[in-house]
Amino acid sequence: MDILKSIEEAVVNRDIAGAKTLTQKALDQKISPNDILNKGLIKGLETIGKLFEKQEIFVPELLMAGMAMTDALALLRPSMEKSDIPPVGKLVIGTVEGDVHDIGKNIVSMMFTGSGFKVTDLGINVSAQKFVDTVEKEKPDVLALSCLYTPTRLAMNDVIRLLREKNLRKKVKIIIGGAPIDQSYADMIGADGYAPDPPSGVRKVMGWLGK
Amino acid sequence: MKNEKIFQERRAKINDLRAKNERMTCRERGLMAVKHQEADRVPIDNWMVPEIKNKTQEYFGCDNYDELLDFLGVDFRNNYGPSYVGQSFKKHPDGTVEDLWGVKRKTVVYGKGTSHQGSYSEVAESPLEKRKTLEEIAKYDHWASPDWWDYSKVKADCIVYHPKYCVINVGDRLDRTSQLKPMMYLRGIQQIFVDMVMNPKIVEYIRDKIISYFVEYNHRVFKAVEGEIDIFMMGDDIGAQTGPLLSLDMWRKYFKKAFKTYIDIAHQYKIPVMYHTCGDVKQFIPDFIECGLDILQSLQPKATNMDIKKLKQEFGKDITFQGAMDIQHILPLGKPEDVKAMAKYALDSAKKGGGYIICTAHNIQIDTPLENVVALFEAYHEYGRY
Repeated sequence: MDILKSIEEAVVNRDIAGAKTLTQKALDQKISPNDILNKGLIKGLETIGKLFEKQEIFVPELLMAGMAMTDALALLRPSMEKSDIPPVGKLVIGTVEGDVHDIGKNIVSMMFTGSGFKVTDLGINVSAQKFVDTVEKEKPDVLALSCLYTPTRLAMNDVIRLLREKNLRKKVKIIIGGAPIDQSYADMIGADGYAPDPPSGVRKVMGWLGK
Repeated sequence: MKNEKIFQERRAKINDLRAKNERMTCRERGLMAVKHQEADRVPIDNWMVPEIKNKTQEYFGCDNYDELLDFLGVDFRNNYGPSYVGQSFKKHPDGTVEDLWGVKRKTVVYGKGTSHQGSYSEVAESPLEKRKTLEEIAKYDHWASPDWWDYSKVKADCIVYHPKYCVINVGDRLDRTSQLKPMMYLRGIQQIFVDMVMNPKIVEYIRDKIISYFVEYNHRVFKAVEGEIDIFMMGDDIGAQTGPLLSLDMWRKYFKKAFKTYIDIAHQYKIPVMYHTCGDVKQFIPDFIECGLDILQSLQPKATNMDIKKLKQEFGKDITFQGAMDIQHILPLGKPEDVKAMAKYALDSAKKGGGYIICTAHNIQIDTPLENVVALFEAYHEYGRY
């Protein structure tokens, strides 16, 4: 079988060791890191997303797929840097202030990392000020905000408000997610979009960046 | 209860509706629903964060929470189980406090400095997260013990509510009878999910420690109360917004057996069982029914596949539902007429033939306007009558 197809399947089958071994093998065969990423890992993620939407796989499997992708990407990164391949995009992510839930945020973070993004993960209970300072410093393409509770989603408004005050809002796209979030909430607070699960979040952001 | 005119006016609508509707005690009403019989009206359960309790209490001129429940026509009263008499929970210099399982917790404040400020006790550190092997985990010495509780007062605590109210033994939010939740606290959510795929022996080991604790604890509680608990509640969140957290196969592999054991124990004492989970768990419901579950709490209407009308049609004969009032969108963001429409829809869909207890899908959160809370309870009484 085509090795890129095998990498895709390793991600789909949540085979962490396999994804790593095959990625190394592909690099040894001088396959370009871009092809390994786009035709292997990201294709695997697309299938994972579909399986998750169809409720054929669940959080443990999503987590394992994310781990398979990040481990494989760690092998790719040095060659990408050596060949001057820039990251697919830059993303800053965190769970908003007052909220410490991070399983969803961590999987999103892994899947963006595994899709070739440079990810700055600020962790949990992150203040609006810290998000804004990081946006100012890192100049990411996208800011991703997560929460679980309905009262803590109000902290997402604070981040957006502060970005506006600092004239940074137009310089960064904002995607939000978490149990109490839907498109109408994103519209209400002026985020650029929302995603119901990690793979569709990656898909949405890739679309924004024209990838 | 305050007697000023303003409070009397605020209370008038609910008082009038209740006077028209109610012909039996709360306990009779609650138990009839579980037996799939129509009472005088659909029984009402209530979940609120403390801040909403206080606001609602103040608005209606009630002097305490019991008065509020009484006025609102809430049929159930919670019993939190025996008193903890074990070693005092260890406090650490960083402000964290260990819980029953030795998990460090801290108070996390949200909405700091705003009108919606509140707090939750959250896991600060999972003690088993970094342990690599089963041998290391087996060395853990803070497994909870049923000996840490004094069971002598539970019966008296329940009796104060009888014969008027229906008593639910709910346990505490953090220590409620469960399997997966303490595993998540002890091992960390992410690690326990990885373990379910990679380290089944670790999952089984931690799980069995938890099960053996709850089996013995519940036997002692049920013996001690001598029939004074009307409903036993256990809870384990296995649903998320767009689907279950884990596959049905995985649940069957790790959790189904003890799920049934917990139910069987309560049934030995003739106590019906309510099980709380958030989220979309539709595909699990046939298994819940097979295990003998009496009441599924709390239907979360914004989760996929959890529309009460469809669930009632498909499973209503075999199980009682509790919940279906949306706290994620309609209560915090909707208007009072949206709240009323939501209650009417659920009651019209599910009240026929009994088997429905109306309640919010979780605590009414602090971001909910008071007028929506008022509309919710008015609607319960307006549309709940049989």
